[in-house]
Amino acid sequence: MRINGEDREFEVGRDLLPTTTLSAFLRERLGCTGLKISCDEGACGACTIIMDGKAVLSCMLLAVEADGHDLLTIEGLPADDPVIEAFAEQCEPGHGTALQCGYCTPGFVMTARALLDENPTPTLDEVKEALSGNLCRCGCYAGIAMAVGHAAEKIAERGGRA
Amino acid sequence: MSAPYQPRVPRRFVGSYRPRIDAVEKAHGSAPYADDEIAERNYPGLLHARVLRCPYPRARIKHLDTTKAEALPGVRCLLTYRDPEVARLKPTNAGWTDAVDTVSYDNMMWRKFRDRRVLGDYATWAGDEVGIAIAADTEQIAEQALRMVEVEWEQLPFLLDPISAMQPGAPVIHPEVAEHNVLPPDPIGGPDVFLNRGDVEQGFAGADVVIEMDTSHHNPTQGSLDPWCCVAKWDDDRLTVFSNSYSADQTRMHISQMLDLPIHKVRVISKYVGGQFGRCDTGDQPFFLFTALLARKSGRPVKFKHTRRDSFHDTRQGALYHCKVGAKTDGAITALHFKSIGDIGAHADHSVFALKFAPAEIAEVALAPIPNVKMESYAVYTNRIPSCMMRGVGNSQFNFIFGRMIDGLAERLDMDPIELAIKNFGHEWGSCPDQSLTAVLETGAERIGWADKRHKPGQGPLYEGAKRRGVGFSVHPGWHAEWQEERRGQVQAKVTLYPDGTVTLDAPTVETGTGSNTCNVLGCAEALAFLGARPEDITWVSTVDTDNGMRDCVQTDSAVSFLQSEVLAVVAEQLKQKLVDIAAPVLGVPADQLSIQNGQFVAPGHSVSVKDLLWQGDLVPVSVMVSRRPSTQRTGVPYIASFAEVEVDTETGRTQVLKIVIINDCGTVMYASGAEAQQVGGQVMALGEALTEELIYDPVRGVPLNFNLIDYKMPTILDMPLVEPVLLEVWRGAGEYGACGIGEGTLTCTPRAVANAIHNAIGVRVDELPLTPEKVLRALGKI
Repeated sequence: MRINGEDREFEVGRDLLPTTTLSAFLRERLGCTGLKISCDEGACGACTIIMDGKAVLSCMLLAVEADGHDLLTIEGLPADDPVIEAFAEQCEPGHGTALQCGYCTPGFVMTARALLDENPTPTLDEVKEALSGNLCRCGCYAGIAMAVGHAAEKIAERGGRA
Repeated sequence: MSAPYQPRVPRRFVGSYRPRIDAVEKAHGSAPYADDEIAERNYPGLLHARVLRCPYPRARIKHLDTTKAEALPGVRCLLTYRDPEVARLKPTNAGWTDAVDTVSYDNMMWRKFRDRRVLGDYATWAGDEVGIAIAADTEQIAEQALRMVEVEWEQLPFLLDPISAMQPGAPVIHPEVAEHNVLPPDPIGGPDVFLNRGDVEQGFAGADVVIEMDTSHHNPTQGSLDPWCCVAKWDDDRLTVFSNSYSADQTRMHISQMLDLPIHKVRVISKYVGGQFGRCDTGDQPFFLFTALLARKSGRPVKFKHTRRDSFHDTRQGALYHCKVGAKTDGAITALHFKSIGDIGAHADHSVFALKFAPAEIAEVALAPIPNVKMESYAVYTNRIPSCMMRGVGNSQFNFIFGRMIDGLAERLDMDPIELAIKNFGHEWGSCPDQSLTAVLETGAERIGWADKRHKPGQGPLYEGAKRRGVGFSVHPGWHAEWQEERRGQVQAKVTLYPDGTVTLDAPTVETGTGSNTCNVLGCAEALAFLGARPEDITWVSTVDTDNGMRDCVQTDSAVSFLQSEVLAVVAEQLKQKLVDIAAPVLGVPADQLSIQNGQFVAPGHSVSVKDLLWQGDLVPVSVMVSRRPSTQRTGVPYIASFAEVEVDTETGRTQVLKIVIINDCGTVMYASGAEAQQVGGQVMALGEALTEELIYDPVRGVPLNFNLIDYKMPTILDMPLVEPVLLEVWRGAGEYGACGIGEGTLTCTPRAVANAIHNAIGVRVDELPLTPEKVLRALGKI
């Protein structure tokens, strides 16, 4: 599989079991601890990564299902990624910050990133629809929606480059 | 959209809108949470522990056969109730303290209610940890081994509701604590009638109107996304525990006292926590103990981590409230009688805090002008999930009846409930009408459009044929002013200044998301204004480690945001004096003629920068550490209010919240973006609690059916209405800032505001949470 731009080979039995979930494999075997395992059953979005350009829940895939696919975790995003910057910077009055405890944040960042790759100018309703599979118990949804809007602006300012 | 709040006193940094200090690392996914760090690469030989959870609501283990489990490859260590190191552990209560203070076993808050055995043989709810814990090479092996343990259970009769549990002849759940399932009086909570001021019967006799009402509050759960976990590792006779718990000092005390270890032989470390909301205050503390014992027995580091199902281990306490109120026709309340029955679930823990301690505080402040007040409460065991500490403990349940009483009495007297509230409530140190109360209500009324939208119950226009709209509010006194933190004891902060003007700030508190870390840095920069310090010059130490000898200020009572900044004001004064004492001999100026302004030493004939002087010789670093008890100056409290606008579909019963306005009088806003994040975020938990979240039990088998995030419905971004946060600075407490914590108080009023808005919309009341479509339709007489 290709992980964050690097081709890697693994062997079932040696590196992983047939039953190993992709989320556990990425965290424990490869140290990609940005993704979180919170519900472990596809209900919270904390383990979201991007596979072949689409946001997927890595707890709902077996590692062996990623065979031959292109995976992007939050560790693979550049330091100046516009989505990350926008989530970090959000403090526009009236909406709160885009993160508090931060546990769900990588999942939201990856879901938002996949949305903006596909649709660089989403409406607020499209943003909400795209992020509706991610839970934030601190409740930063208003700040998150602002951050995604700002990320879209940053992408436009950089000539459409996400 | 809200306009930015207007600070009462202009300040450089405190109260500003800005990103959190940890925003970049959290947005990158690089902030290290315990579950990220407790891995084989950091703990070679790491084992994983699982514990047996009782599948029945009440049962006793008659016999355990571990032969097959022990034979499973990869199983390294077992610990059962029969092992002497387990059997000799003292009975305990997970409510040693609410962690504002650090207490020993003998001084735990609820020492009359020690109903928990660590790995005992008796389970009192379906999910209770019982009997055996196993450490293995992987979690999966440990789990598989548990399934291979042959357990012979004696199933016992069970109880799922407190009314049944109070009946004569009901099975007794913890006979050693409560003979009839009702917790006996205790030194902190007091007797059943824990408050009796004036003469309520006389007050009712003198009233023109007397009405009564009932409400029911359910038990939503904290729902932290970061499962609680720890690793225990022994180095000879010294134990190190690293966890995502919200306290370090009290956790160390708990382990030290329960395992009979000298305090200095236990080291506890905590870093980032993915959401707290009260979940560490009580609930599942015993796992620290069996994990430590497994680590000692196996000679290897052992990790224990809750599964998502295990994370349902504590809830807000379900409570039935009855209120009787008497008033004159002009709205003056003559008497109030509140009676509650709390469903405390299977363990007592802090239950009495919610049922007696919190309401008694409210009687002392908001209800102070009411001459006759009686409060009584009964805390009742059932075989459901334990319930006590959750964000807004006790206050949420009380507000659900308090706001009902205001709305119902105003309706009966044909008054505006805002007018009725302002007329009656305040605090004993202020005069009525209370300025803070008036401000939050008038601001909320203006922002929600009260004058235009409030109509007679059920008399508004119809929308789309079957929908009706209404507005409602609820109001509550804050409960995190500095004087209310007296029990917290010493709050500590240490500042170290380097010659280039940069600073290390050690204000120990575990970062759980509340934003108090950013408050600390802003408070530090504000206090060090005489040095020209900026927030970016300050590094906040993010790891709490008991080995540094300082005590952490625990994230409870929503008060850390200002408590440590109050200490930092004192630190700054001492630092200034220390710098003067250092500089005086170097400059040859008497210390009493030397001052520091904008980073310059100033004296007659001298002006040299602090940095230039500190670079001379071995004068740095300069450190100051201050321990300070919170001020006990009684200053009353500020107020909180939520206003809600709803649209109710009278055909489906569905309530859609259109808008929430949340108003908090903060005294002083310490960090505006963080405070607004708490306000906006609190509405997510509040609306879940009000409308969609509910723990469902199978009444036949007595087991929970939805301990997962698919069927336990926490709101998503699509479920949330427009939320307008409003920060006010009207009331003022003691100290440099005179602030009041708001985090818990952001959600307290919202469920009642929604319920009152539903009544305004459809003209009938739903007083049982959650406010589901089924209950709305039943109230409308449609089912």
